[in-house]
Amino acid sequence: MLKPHRVLARKVSSYADEASAFMRRRRHHRRPFVRIQYRSGDAVELQPDAAEARQIMAAVAGLVDRSG
Amino acid sequence: MRLGQGTWPVCSYTVTPNAKSADGPKGPARQGDLPERAHAVLDRLAGLEPELRAAAVVSDRGEVLASTLDDPVWERFAGDFVEALSAAGPGEIDSSHVATGEAEVFLVSESGFSLVAVTARFVLASLTSFDIRMSLRDLVGEAEHA
Repeated sequence: MLKPHRVLARKVSSYADEASAFMRRRRHHRRPFVRIQYRSGDAVELQPDAAEARQIMAAVAGLVDRSG
Repeated sequence: MRLGQGTWPVCSYTVTPNAKSADGPKGPARQGDLPERAHAVLDRLAGLEPELRAAAVVSDRGEVLASTLDDPVWERFAGDFVEALSAAGPGEIDSSHVATGEAEVFLVSESGFSLVAVTARFVLASLTSFDIRMSLRDLVGEAEHA
């Protein structure tokens, strides 16, 4: 049988793991992206720092801001 | 040109190409009441998509035919978005999905029209794209039968 303080320590550590996993998932889901599917069947995800992606994101920011 | 290739873990769907109208809008029957038809299609799409914030139909010439917002600045951004996507790669665009921290923007192009839609974050991407494509096909079909 585990000593009571170890049970407590395990619980705290398990909650901390859950919280950090939640933050990781949240960060991943909030990551902006630009995905394009071409008629040829090719698909690309533009790198966020690419000039094309920045231009698209500028237009998208305007669309999102003005749509309320 | 290599823009950066990636795969993403979302459901995908396959829709057969719309073979009978691959040449873009043309003919006098398509020009007349196209904006009204486009408005009706956007209204139907808004009924299908509760998370839809705004949408517009853009012609292949970059002209906004109809939008759910009465905002010329927003319409200009919609045109800029279509133009920026076309300039981003070598091929003809079929669809696009862009996410920001607070919203998602979809574009589907078909038969010379593009439909741009802004939705809330975390909508079901494949379902939304499918609804947009079907709406666009309604517009193309109605315009051809007019």
